[in-house]
Amino acid sequence: MRASLFITCYNDTLFPETGRAVVRLLERLGIALEFNPGQTCCGQMHANTGFRAEAFSQAKRFVRLYQDAEAIVIPSTSCVAMIRDQYPGLFAEPGNDALRKEFVALLPRVYELSEFLIDRLGVDDVGAYFPHRVTYHASCHGLRGLHVGDRPFRLLAKVRGLELVALENIDRCCGFGGTFSIKNAEVSSAMLSDKLHDVLSTQAEYCTALDNSCLMHLGGALHREFAATRTLHLAQILASTQTDPAEGIA
Amino acid sequence: MSDARQQILDRIRRATSGGSVTEHPDLPRNYIRHGSLDKSGRLNLMVERLQEYDADVVECAPDDLPACMADRLHSSGKNRFVVPPGLPAEWLASGFDWKLDRGLTHAEIEACDGVVTASFAGVADSGTIVLHHSASEGRRVLTLLPDWHLCILRTSQIVETLPEYFDLCPLPPTLATYISGPSATADIEMTRIKGVHGPRFLHVILVRDDA
Amino acid sequence: MMQVDLDPRTALPFPQAALPILRNTQLRKNVAHATDVIQAKRARLVAEKTDWQALRNAAAAIKDDVLGHLDRYLVEFEARCTAAGGHVHWASDAAEARSIIVEILRTEKATEAIKIKTMTSAEIQLNPALEAAGIKAVETDLAELILQLGEDEPSHIVAPALHVNRSQVREIFARRMGRTDLTDDPQALTAAARSYLRRKFLSVDTAICGANFMVAETGAVTIVESEGNGRMCLTLPRTLIALAGIEKLVPIFRDLEVMLQVLARSATGERMNPYTSLWTGVTPGDGPQNFHVVLLDNGRSSILARHTERQTLRCIRCAACQNTCPVYRQTGGHAYGSVYGGPIGAILTPQLMHMDHAQSLPYASSLCAACYEVCPVKINIPEVLIELRAQVVDRERKQAARAFDLMYIGMRVANSIFASAWRFRLAQRLGRIGLRLFTKKDGWIHALPSLGARWTMTRDLRGLPDQTFRDWWASRPKDRV
Repeated sequence: MRASLFITCYNDTLFPETGRAVVRLLERLGIALEFNPGQTCCGQMHANTGFRAEAFSQAKRFVRLYQDAEAIVIPSTSCVAMIRDQYPGLFAEPGNDALRKEFVALLPRVYELSEFLIDRLGVDDVGAYFPHRVTYHASCHGLRGLHVGDRPFRLLAKVRGLELVALENIDRCCGFGGTFSIKNAEVSSAMLSDKLHDVLSTQAEYCTALDNSCLMHLGGALHREFAATRTLHLAQILASTQTDPAEGIA
Repeated sequence: MSDARQQILDRIRRATSGGSVTEHPDLPRNYIRHGSLDKSGRLNLMVERLQEYDADVVECAPDDLPACMADRLHSSGKNRFVVPPGLPAEWLASGFDWKLDRGLTHAEIEACDGVVTASFAGVADSGTIVLHHSASEGRRVLTLLPDWHLCILRTSQIVETLPEYFDLCPLPPTLATYISGPSATADIEMTRIKGVHGPRFLHVILVRDDA
Repeated sequence: MMQVDLDPRTALPFPQAALPILRNTQLRKNVAHATDVIQAKRARLVAEKTDWQALRNAAAAIKDDVLGHLDRYLVEFEARCTAAGGHVHWASDAAEARSIIVEILRTEKATEAIKIKTMTSAEIQLNPALEAAGIKAVETDLAELILQLGEDEPSHIVAPALHVNRSQVREIFARRMGRTDLTDDPQALTAAARSYLRRKFLSVDTAICGANFMVAETGAVTIVESEGNGRMCLTLPRTLIALAGIEKLVPIFRDLEVMLQVLARSATGERMNPYTSLWTGVTPGDGPQNFHVVLLDNGRSSILARHTERQTLRCIRCAACQNTCPVYRQTGGHAYGSVYGGPIGAILTPQLMHMDHAQSLPYASSLCAACYEVCPVKINIPEVLIELRAQVVDRERKQAARAFDLMYIGMRVANSIFASAWRFRLAQRLGRIGLRLFTKKDGWIHALPSLGARWTMTRDLRGLPDQTFRDWWASRPKDRV
């Protein structure tokens, strides 16, 4: 089957290795991947900061770009939540009938990565090998927005060699919150401090999640403190095999 | 101030586009509205909940009620009790100083050691005792000022769930007090302290009148 | 005790107000402990309630029905309450409410008034107005008493003194009650408060309360409490004044079977709180014979008019949102500069101010939605927060000063970049080149200037990779399937 990859603006620029991992993983599973080079951003940053008109124009662009895609895979729960939760409101004004129709037709074809694997492909064993101690952080958009539920756990359970350690207070926000991390940098850091404590208590070598936004925030602090834990996106773990381990892992 | 009244109502009407319906619409009431326990299960639950909040609970048959009450009163070590005017006379065991509330002052009630009342209903799920302040339950102040309260509850008036209590009310009560624990506060460091205001000692006699 | 400003018109914006509080490790510990305790109790009881979601749905529907027909229910309540001997007053704003209450007390020649905790009275700044009129307000709720004697402000809707620890309470009681004999044992402190207040209950003839639920069908008022000070204030005095927001209604008595179940579990993690009182107007011989209700608008009718924001008024003041909020957990209520803090405060306060003040509050959230998950009346707080942010920006955009505001400039530039793929690619290249200046040998950025410094103050940032994903994709052999 074919699928179109929406890499997300920040993954494209800051975490291309996550994108490469998604490609490796999905192609290994037999998906014919497309990448529409017209893509930029889903509009979340603007929408969440209150710049609604700007968010609308980005949302409209997204819908037009992917009208004909068979399936759109997005390795970011916050972007998928934006599309599902906020696009309807953005397109609600009268005069957007055509756009609304296109969006409604598009919506069932939008998948977050773990949703695509479990729901669309019906697989939880993706043939991954990652012999490390790992803990999983439940990003708020995935947890409460998308209700990803146990999908990431089912996927992690089938990764050979992986030792999963439960994270305490797993459902407590890490403090990133988009522009919140800048506008309220001190409170964001206070929340991060508590989350770091929970992560480090697991003594895991890797902290993973479905969102690089949380991981950028967590990983940035872990790096600052010379902590013995690193972050990486779940896609990188799932893409990792014995012959082709995840990038940057010895 | 009728100006404010009109302005507020006008603002509200503009905000809700003036629409009003004449009857209460169909609300989704899919919550539990009936218990699943049988009579003895209900009773056991009521006892368990009452004991969880340190109420002293005993059961008795209807004929044994006066004797059971006398026993409770004797073991309290107290002497002066205030009672509502509608309390059955046979409940007033001899040997105690009974103050019938026919308009007692707060000071007179304050001077009593305890109070004895009937009750309207019990809700087992939360261990709630319901007072509708009838003649046998008394004015609200009676069950508030004294430190010791003996409450008579008939098992036929115990329901399992809160919605079933509402089923019991023929009409909504004008006055009601719902007691589900001793007075408590957790305002200092979340440490639960009991007995702030209101009776610190609650004794309940469950009369098995529906055996 | 730090000077705390809970007047949204003058309080510092949230980020600034939070700063000194974040350095108050004792307060942070108290808040974390308190919220953890209540959260755990709530979670346990909600888990055992198999019809919890059905109750939430019903509670939200009941409140939406009230809001959709608010004029009708208010008029019905007024008629029933009046028929039962009560007096109903209407106040458009805080000043009117204060004036009505002072007038009633003056008529009764009251010099003192005992009070049950009511956030609404703090909202209208009632106590200073009473003081100015020569009437001493005596708070009887233990937490409110602690705050009043300590000249402090509430930091939580249900447990207002949760930022105060036992030795602070001991010190306050020693200084203000003259009780220098007390230990810091909560039991002893509570006993001291009990005897201090008992004298007041038995001697003060006027009381002021709020209302948890007013029943339109019968004109009854319901108050939910734990300590018993409520029953004291509602029963012993001759004059009772209930101050309530216009939204504090339920249509019929029966609706309490839903509201009481969700409120107790959400607020204190109990199946039912110790004492709930219900009374209707005046009952001869039982309780206050002079009863007044003051219905307060103070901005609520404006909120009612707005489609997305109306749900704010479903709130039953349980504070479950505060207890679960990871932001509130770090700061407590004082950082919000309002008597209403936490998630509900972030949406209610600016709206009560007609969006003229407290504009930083809708941004005092990471949009994690934990609040929405626990709200017993299903207020989608994140949805309202985002809507209010849009309103703040729509207002601010028009101001000339925003032309120089980095955040506004940045957002406009970003939008223009996202509008076209080639501009996006160009921005990626320029960004990579620009950030190279700050990228150290280890490939990481440790310090950035300007807005970037807000990130790098506590976090490193990995330098931008040499090749973006789209460039890597474009460089792949074209004959791949």
